[in-house]
Amino acid sequence: MTAAAVAADTWREAVGAALAEGFTFFEWLGVVDEVGRADVLRVVVVLRHLERPAEIRRLSTEVPRDGGSLDSLRDLVAGAAWHEREAAEMFGLTFAGGDARRLLLASEFEGAPLRKDAVLGARTALAWPGAKEPGESAASPAARGAQAPSRRRMVPPGVPDPAVWGDRDPEAGPASPDEVAESAVGGRVRRRLGAGRRG
Amino acid sequence: MSDHGTIALIEPACTSCMVCARECPAWCITIDSHTEPIPDLPPGARERTRNVLDRFEIDWSLCMYCGICVEECPFDALAWEPQHTAAAPSAVLLRHGMDELTGPSPA
Repeated sequence: MTAAAVAADTWREAVGAALAEGFTFFEWLGVVDEVGRADVLRVVVVLRHLERPAEIRRLSTEVPRDGGSLDSLRDLVAGAAWHEREAAEMFGLTFAGGDARRLLLASEFEGAPLRKDAVLGARTALAWPGAKEPGESAASPAARGAQAPSRRRMVPPGVPDPAVWGDRDPEAGPASPDEVAESAVGGRVRRRLGAGRRG
Repeated sequence: MSDHGTIALIEPACTSCMVCARECPAWCITIDSHTEPIPDLPPGARERTRNVLDRFEIDWSLCMYCGICVEECPFDALAWEPQHTAAAPSAVLLRHGMDELTGPSPA
């Protein structure tokens, strides 16, 4: 099921038209951070028809990652306000005419935690239990870094490569969001665990 | 899924594959294992090894009981148990090893 692409400035009209067609059940509104593919946040809304449950209307639009803004749907669907408040605080976009209060995050929290370049900074200092291979223990030579440097090691998702974020060469300047996001996907990569990561 | 109390380790089924420790969002599972040659192979057979589990530890002070480890285990070596994890006077005592995790009710 693909989503019908809608221009951001006709977002309200497109949703209003779907509601007028009878797709009055607001199922959810969500956001996808497209960093690495495009410098946009994709906002998706899913509406259903109560008499024709098999039918589904999925609309999507794109707003810029920096300072993106979209018209609020809360005067069309009151329940959309909660979804918009969560989307706004988690992804760092604004809904014009929406409820500006936060839904889940504390008022002093900074940043947009569900963006793909949001890193789990505190974890860069912890040893990840999943770094060991089957048959390894904390005391085995491989776990202490004695294996060949070319060996692909498992790294945890959400924790960026120290060479990109953390121990980055200060002269290189801060890494771009797509570099940070790409380095934090986790999985098996050709990367030496930094000396600072092991205690 | 209804008996969401604590998580038990079914040790004979565990192959030390590390999948649970890698999938755990709370980083609360610690596994140590080593490899051992399989004994009693027929004469002339290629020497093979298997993983032997040395330590399987869940830190219940970190675990959020999401059940991802139970879902992800390819060998069904982790299972929900109806009784709840016992309280402890200090966080260190909430690190349960194989003795506690394979505990009372065998699956």
